Amino acid sequence: MSDQSVTSGSIHVRPEFVNEIGTAGTGEVERRLSMFERISNIDPLRKFTILIIMVVAWEMYARIGEINELMFPTFSATGAALVDALVNDSLMVNVWNSLKLLVTGYAIGISIAAVLVVLAVGSRIGSDLLTTLTAMLNPLPAIALLPMAMLWFGLGPGAIIFTLLHSIVWPVALNTHSGFQGVSETLRMVGGNYGLKGLRYIFKILVPAAFPAILTGLRIGWAYAWRTLIAAELVFGGQVVDTSGQLGAEGSTSGGLGWIIFENQMENQTPYVFAGLFMVILVGITVENGFFRNIEERTVRKWGMQKS
Amino acid sequence: MSENAVETYVRPEFENKNLGKALDVDVERPLSLFERIANINAVRKFSILLGLLFAWEAYTQISGVEPLLFPSFSASSIALWETILSGEMFTKIWVTIEILLVGYAAGLACAAIFLIWAVLTRVGSDVLATLTSMFQPLPAISLLPLAMLWFGLGASSLVFVTIHSVLWAVALSTHVGFMGVSETLRMVGRNYGLRGIPYIFKILVPAGFASILIGLKVGWAFAWRTLIGAELVFGALSGSGGLGWMVYEKGENLETTYVFAALFMVIVIGLLVENVIFRNIELKTINKWGMQR
Repeated sequence: MSDQSVTSGSIHVRPEFVNEIGTAGTGEVERRLSMFERISNIDPLRKFTILIIMVVAWEMYARIGEINELMFPTFSATGAALVDALVNDSLMVNVWNSLKLLVTGYAIGISIAAVLVVLAVGSRIGSDLLTTLTAMLNPLPAIALLPMAMLWFGLGPGAIIFTLLHSIVWPVALNTHSGFQGVSETLRMVGGNYGLKGLRYIFKILVPAAFPAILTGLRIGWAYAWRTLIAAELVFGGQVVDTSGQLGAEGSTSGGLGWIIFENQMENQTPYVFAGLFMVILVGITVENGFFRNIEERTVRKWGMQKS
Repeated sequence: MSENAVETYVRPEFENKNLGKALDVDVERPLSLFERIANINAVRKFSILLGLLFAWEAYTQISGVEPLLFPSFSASSIALWETILSGEMFTKIWVTIEILLVGYAAGLACAAIFLIWAVLTRVGSDVLATLTSMFQPLPAISLLPLAMLWFGLGASSLVFVTIHSVLWAVALSTHVGFMGVSETLRMVGRNYGLRGIPYIFKILVPAGFASILIGLKVGWAFAWRTLIGAELVFGALSGSGGLGWMVYEKGENLETTYVFAALFMVIVIGLLVENVIFRNIELKTINKWGMQR
């Protein structure tokens, strides 16, 4: 080829040349990060700094802006209120009251959902019933049933638990059922091959195979239930004010977190409202990151069904 | 092979000459009319619905339960019809929907601003992550007492609470979606010289649309629940307003038929938004693009 191109004449052949490279001037190929860069690469540290900046900004804004403390308390006042409410008042009791209701409602709700789903797996009528009910009742905010629940069960834990049930049963049942339907035919046949039937088939084959969907359902159920509970307690607060014209009919130790927020707001103790909100966030983070995260680690992640 | 191998017994070949007459068995049989009808999904579900309604009506008629506590289906539907005819229902619905739309739009706008900042800078990403992990577990409704303090008893408190319920859900889900966009697609974007806003809207948004849509749905669900709840609390504190307030007011006045009518409308709106609006968006985007079967 090259012979040809040289001899063909009409093609211009560039002359050969040698590039004198000189001394190597590569510069730094690898450089250690500076102290600041290394520190700012630590994720928790960055987020923690942002948190601190926000808190400082809050404190500054409340102090320098001379905002009325009743409207927007300083961070330090909120912190003091939180400590005071924890030590002298009964904030922990209120948290406990809320959690008790929540756990009761959650447990009953999951059992009802389980019964519905078992029926749905067992028969076509059950499956139709479940899909019809969930399609109808899932879009209905549970809190909208509270007025009826108050009529049926009176002003008390019964009404709240009824609303909680409603907020848990449908998302859990819906997700579990659609999870079951997505279980691959191969796994079903393996179960059939082992002669598994009925409950054992559900718990040995369907539940493990559909666990990511079940977990999603449980999470959504928890999120709705937590929101519903706080809202219901707020409405209760309004009810008590509405009917008795004064606060304290329920007693500050018998109500939950939502009630505490409402009561303190009514009494214009805004720092205590913020303290209550802080506890709400804390409970939420604990359940989501402590509880559900752990279940996730030990099941779907361990089984390799979900990547990090 | 080995010397003490057992001799295998070979059965003699034979031919069965006496097969008899072929019995007249159905190899294929058309399903009976009942079976064919029962195989239609819609018919089955509709009859279950009818069965439930019938059970409800029969229960209220036979057990003689106090109609104020549990009205019959017929009474509830009459109440629904009345409120629809008088236009009362639609004014209430409009009040709620208006607040919902304003809150939803404002929440989305806030989320968009946070997200753009988060995509462009690491500080923005950190701020967004910190804020969402703090506010996502906080039920928006618990901010209602503060909102009432800051904005008074009115629509602006409701909008504030609605924004709060939409913003974090959408921001969290979208941010996760953006982070999951494959490096290949990002590089394609950079190859085309896309930067900043065009990069976000041409690469990240379409690629992360599945999780954006999930965020929008979750945001809607939270907003709808929060708004109804907030209107109930308002109701308890005597205000005026939309559907939630109607549920509360009628419940207080023991006009339970109207409560059921209002609950029915709440369900209808929920179904419409979920199965018509979001379903259509899903069909026209991620299903069409083949991101979801």
